[in-house]
Amino acid sequence: MDFELTEDQKKQKESFAGLCAKEIAPRAEFTDKEAVFPEENIRLLGKVGFLGMGFPEEYGGSKGDPVIRAVLGEELAKACASTYLSAGASSGLFGIPVLKFGTQTQKKKYLPGVLSGEKMGALAITEPQAGSDMLGMKTGAQKSGNGWLINGSKTLITNGPVADYYVVAAYTDKEKKRDGISLFIVEKGTKGFSSGKPFDKLGVRGSPTSDLFFDGCEVPGENLLGEVNKGFLQLARTLSHGRIGMAVYSLGIAQACLEESISYAQERTAFGKKLAHFQDVHFKIADMKMYIDVGRELIYKAAWMLDQDDSQSVLFASIAKLFMSEHTTKIASDAVQIFGGYGFIKGYKVERLYRDSKLGEIGEGTSEIQRTIITKLVEDQY
Amino acid sequence: MEFSIPKESLDFKESVYRFGVRDLAPVSQQPEYDEREEFIVENWKKMADFGLLGLPYPEEYGGSGASVLTTTLAGEALGYAGIDAGIMLSWGAHMILCGVPIWQMGTEAQKKKYLPKLAAGEWIGGLGLTEPNAGSDAAGIQTTAVKKGDRYILNGAKMFITNGPTGKVFVVAAVTDKSKKAFGISAFIVEKGMKGFSVGKKLSKLGVRTSPTSELIFEDCEVPEENMLGEPDLGFVNVIKLTLEWERSCLVAPAIGGLELGLKGAIEYAKQRKQFGRPIIKFQAIRHKIADLKMNLEAVRQIVYKVAWLKDRDIPAMMEASAAKLFVSEIMEKMSSEVLQIFGGYGFIKEYLVERGYRDSRLASIGGGTSEIQRGIIARSIINF
Repeated sequence: MDFELTEDQKKQKESFAGLCAKEIAPRAEFTDKEAVFPEENIRLLGKVGFLGMGFPEEYGGSKGDPVIRAVLGEELAKACASTYLSAGASSGLFGIPVLKFGTQTQKKKYLPGVLSGEKMGALAITEPQAGSDMLGMKTGAQKSGNGWLINGSKTLITNGPVADYYVVAAYTDKEKKRDGISLFIVEKGTKGFSSGKPFDKLGVRGSPTSDLFFDGCEVPGENLLGEVNKGFLQLARTLSHGRIGMAVYSLGIAQACLEESISYAQERTAFGKKLAHFQDVHFKIADMKMYIDVGRELIYKAAWMLDQDDSQSVLFASIAKLFMSEHTTKIASDAVQIFGGYGFIKGYKVERLYRDSKLGEIGEGTSEIQRTIITKLVEDQY
Repeated sequence: MEFSIPKESLDFKESVYRFGVRDLAPVSQQPEYDEREEFIVENWKKMADFGLLGLPYPEEYGGSGASVLTTTLAGEALGYAGIDAGIMLSWGAHMILCGVPIWQMGTEAQKKKYLPKLAAGEWIGGLGLTEPNAGSDAAGIQTTAVKKGDRYILNGAKMFITNGPTGKVFVVAAVTDKSKKAFGISAFIVEKGMKGFSVGKKLSKLGVRTSPTSELIFEDCEVPEENMLGEPDLGFVNVIKLTLEWERSCLVAPAIGGLELGLKGAIEYAKQRKQFGRPIIKFQAIRHKIADLKMNLEAVRQIVYKVAWLKDRDIPAMMEASAAKLFVSEIMEKMSSEVLQIFGGYGFIKEYLVERGYRDSRLASIGGGTSEIQRGIIARSIINF
């Protein structure tokens, strides 16, 4: 057993935290307020190797594993949740399925651009009538000559308006339900494909989200990702990455709330004393610290299990995500409470953190879906 | 990072579990002991024979030299085997709260005299810290010890002392220099039978009723000077430092097992209990409670193992230990309530273990430093005020 980060991991964390504080955090308020996609942040993350961590060098990747991705991811999410989300959707949600199931040609074509931050990727599963119930999706792909014709639409797609490449799930045999879904790589500019306008959102406003439309969209045969009708299983094998990624999103926000709360409680005076003197304030902060520390341990464990290819890693990814996201919304609410009226005002960081926190309970499978998965996996263990 | 548990520790956990199920649980789970508030002597003797009462002490003092992690896993195994929480509490008070200070702070003579007896279960031990007027404010104790010739004369009373009625030996804190406050309190090893030492009547409790609790009374109690434990005036501070991290890992370990047992029981019950024509495990409200049980079980495990791991490496873990204790105790209370809810009316009936588990869980956020004290410790470690 070893609960500590290695010296090397600690150094990486420190230097990446410095970079995030210097280059990314200062723009977070503007990014949120103007809902501007922070392109330059993504390129910076590509340049420093964050996006490519854990991918083979030949595709522009660098050394890394799920644990160090979680360690550094926390720093990025803490600095700017929008940047974190778009970066994760690009190199993680798009990049990992391509790496795992792509042909050599596909990997060479798509990964280097995405991992360097020059190109953006996205994953498109959700549809207007199919969110948690993925099998309820309607988008279909029909064989047409050497290629495929895709018809349907997707919604709530992170990076939808800005992505260059998309992994798209579509039915190739609707009758067969989960055994009838395939994945395709669709490029921006493909005939019959268009993306909608960015949605106006509660939080993570700098990470653009939109509809995608497929209207007789012509996808060449070589853009099938993995095997026909194996899309559902393929996605299932990558979901843990996304879930741990979303848990880390929440963790970073929670840690930012904790740090903001500590410094405010130490400087703000009321009734002739520092806020921190009041038990109600410092007990709230103690609870934040406790839940964050427990959640971080669960995330590290889930990441480690994923790296070990442990058979229970899916279960632990859900546990970590559920635990961290639900505690983070409470932590963010408490942080606003500690700031009082100021916490409700734009320009105060906790106001943004509070709005950003909510996505943690929705994205990458709602809390309800996580609970469904956990029980399904545990009910026959006893 | 590496989260796999060493195989020998896991094997030991498994053997303790099997022992618990076979030799302890059949007696431990009889509701009469809880009802009569009776200490289960039979369980205790078997635990001693198995070598559980002195696990972490060195072999030369009758122990097994087990690591904190292994001791924690043993506690978890017993909890999962369904061993009464009262016995587990008495185990912690005996082995950790009384034995660890003697082991870590005692003279060679003290260690030789007491540890083998504790490890063998011949004597039961306890810790006398809390007083009628000094609970969370532990440094506010009023019991005094005055040197007189070759003895100390103790006067005062201790309250809520686990193993009070059954214990033979207690580590007792008493003020030796009032002006120095917390740094003027010494620790003594006091035996039953010493002149002026008596025990109040057994207190009737909400839960952990098989673990006897009472007052300890010192009326010109004469304690030989060689029974002072550790340095004069510093015994109290050192005992606190020592035992808190231990008690906030090993002592809460049975709760982990208890939580897993609750999860298992809830799943089994929900599969066989039918309402509205189908097993209640088919209902989402039940399923999602089960998910929360599992999530919190893994959270509790991870955080307690971490404290044990830090303690095994002598890495100071005051904050981590407090956070773990706070988290575990509050989760236990919530989760035992959820388990009871799944059992419905049957959960409210004495015959079912969940009713006892629900009552037993309530102590955790009070004993060993209340939740409020833990929050204060965590806050002070990260905020300047």
